[in-house]
Amino acid sequence: MSFADLLRTAFSNLRRRKLRSSLTILAVVIGAGLVSLLVSLGIGVQGFLTDQVRSLLPSDVVMVASNPDVFQIGLEGLGIGGNPQPIAGNQTGGFTLQPLTQQEIQEVQGIKHVARIDPFIILRADSVRLQGSQARFRTDVRPQPDYQVQLVPLVAGKYITDQTRGECIIANQYLEVFGFNSPEEALGKEVIIQVTQAASLIGLPAETREYSFTIVGVTEKTLSSTEIVISLTDGEDMSRFWANTPDLYTDKIPAAILQVRIDSSQYADAVAQEVKGLGLGEITSADVLGIIGTIFGIIQAILSAFGLIALGVASLSIVNTLIMSVYERTREIGVMKAVGASKGTIRILFTAEGAAIGFLGGAIGVAIAYVLGFVIDRVSRATFLKDFQSFNISVFPWWLIVGVIALTTIIAILAALYPAHRAAGLDPIESLRYE
Amino acid sequence: MGEETINALAGVNLEISQGEFVSIAGPSGSGKSTLLNIIGGLDSPTKGNITVDGQDLSKASDSELSSYRNKKVGFVFQTFNLQPTYNALENVALPLVFAKVPLGKRNQIAKEALETVGLGDRVRHKPSELSGGERQRVGIARALVNNPKILLADEPTGNLDSKARERIMELLTELNKERGLTLLLVTHDLESARSADRMLHMRDGEITEAVDRK
Repeated sequence: MSFADLLRTAFSNLRRRKLRSSLTILAVVIGAGLVSLLVSLGIGVQGFLTDQVRSLLPSDVVMVASNPDVFQIGLEGLGIGGNPQPIAGNQTGGFTLQPLTQQEIQEVQGIKHVARIDPFIILRADSVRLQGSQARFRTDVRPQPDYQVQLVPLVAGKYITDQTRGECIIANQYLEVFGFNSPEEALGKEVIIQVTQAASLIGLPAETREYSFTIVGVTEKTLSSTEIVISLTDGEDMSRFWANTPDLYTDKIPAAILQVRIDSSQYADAVAQEVKGLGLGEITSADVLGIIGTIFGIIQAILSAFGLIALGVASLSIVNTLIMSVYERTREIGVMKAVGASKGTIRILFTAEGAAIGFLGGAIGVAIAYVLGFVIDRVSRATFLKDFQSFNISVFPWWLIVGVIALTTIIAILAALYPAHRAAGLDPIESLRYE
Repeated sequence: MGEETINALAGVNLEISQGEFVSIAGPSGSGKSTLLNIIGGLDSPTKGNITVDGQDLSKASDSELSSYRNKKVGFVFQTFNLQPTYNALENVALPLVFAKVPLGKRNQIAKEALETVGLGDRVRHKPSELSGGERQRVGIARALVNNPKILLADEPTGNLDSKARERIMELLTELNKERGLTLLLVTHDLESARSADRMLHMRDGEITEAVDRK
């Protein structure tokens, strides 16, 4: 029997019992649809979070700190479960930091593929207000190198460069609280950022200063809703005041954390390993994304389990359908054997029928999930995700489509094994006599 | 307690020449059908040998036997055993499916076989749209379609009226005489049996009488 005949026969046999075949296929459709829709939504949300992480920690960046423990994330690092970690040699341990030494910075600079080193500027601003207004709002001031600034799309204005002084890019969410009707309206307006020295964090006497910035850009809406991005140079000034340390970020007192840019993100891991070898702390976006990936993997596995249970039930329905079919077609099987069908041919014929159910169910299920995902995507973007236009909530990569159809086909083939075995083993003479 | 072994066939020693027409008669349970099924490769003897066209069927594997059934023999059944959802052409083409003949060629060969049995104008009819005699012609066309050497007919006229019976017997005899097909006919009908070159009578799994009519 040729492959084309096998397919033709399998599909025409399914057509013969339309209602029964449809119901069995429907069971597969529900399982396949559930699995693919849930995985698709998971991919969408994970992709969105990944983009958000990338704008905070680009993939071609390795963060380097004087303390090897400071980036230790994961439950053990947070002191949840596991044994207390030992602290090596001259390290201070915990989350405390000391400035990196000149020698350490030079060693990092010497690592292959390191393209650029910037201090990671630590700064806490109290508030931001629009010039001429008394309404103050919470803010997170982020001094960033230009290559990182450009990772977040703007809805209006331009990016700042490393040389920029006194200019900032504001998060989209400020438009509403500042009372602007359009992003363009915000451009050229002045904001006042208030900074109180760090000593105030533990209640010690401290000075307060106000810094004025011109809005030159407005970002697309992201999860960083209180972000105001300024140049590194402006950030260093503000940080020196905040920390009350005029020599900070100079050769005398270098930064405690460096933002190290690599030629290409593919070397991030190798560079991170070398940094580790120097006894310093390091973290890459891959580390952070790895944790997000693990969490999402678990959530998706739990959600997919529901779909898999549905597929398991569907496979019982396939077994049932095919066993019924073997009974009904006993005589036909006898004739097929009499005119030259071998046991193997009969077996493969019934297996193909199962495979056809699985394939159709999988394909229809994925197609329905695709349409549902599209609708969910459109509806959510028209409503509660209106401002997150780059957020694709339902994503269908090719491997998901192929994978789900392959999965349902394989499950159906497995379900068909027993009925096919029974059909193949029928005695032709008795089958021909079967009424 | 215990099981009694019943031999469907015992001590049968039979030689059939190519192109011969042999009829087998006898009461139900006499082993006629078993003999036919063994010759047709549907059943295997527990003891003894059966050689057809130089091939020892008692030692053949399932795939060898199915290929033998596909190419060397053609079965004609009392109850026709046509697939009700297939039309005449599709029913006749079924053996060609297992012979891996491509679709276009299959339809052509099947149509020729239907023409041979005089049903060239009933190609698209379903079995339910055909008379009993016509159905059996479709059954014969299916048996012929792969150009077998042997035709095995088990009570082919058992479900037909006398008119149809006559015409089916005419067709079978013609195939035997003109195409040189070896024909084995199991029948209750004495008249049909008499048209054979050789008449065998069976009882309790044994051939009790052989009449050579040539």
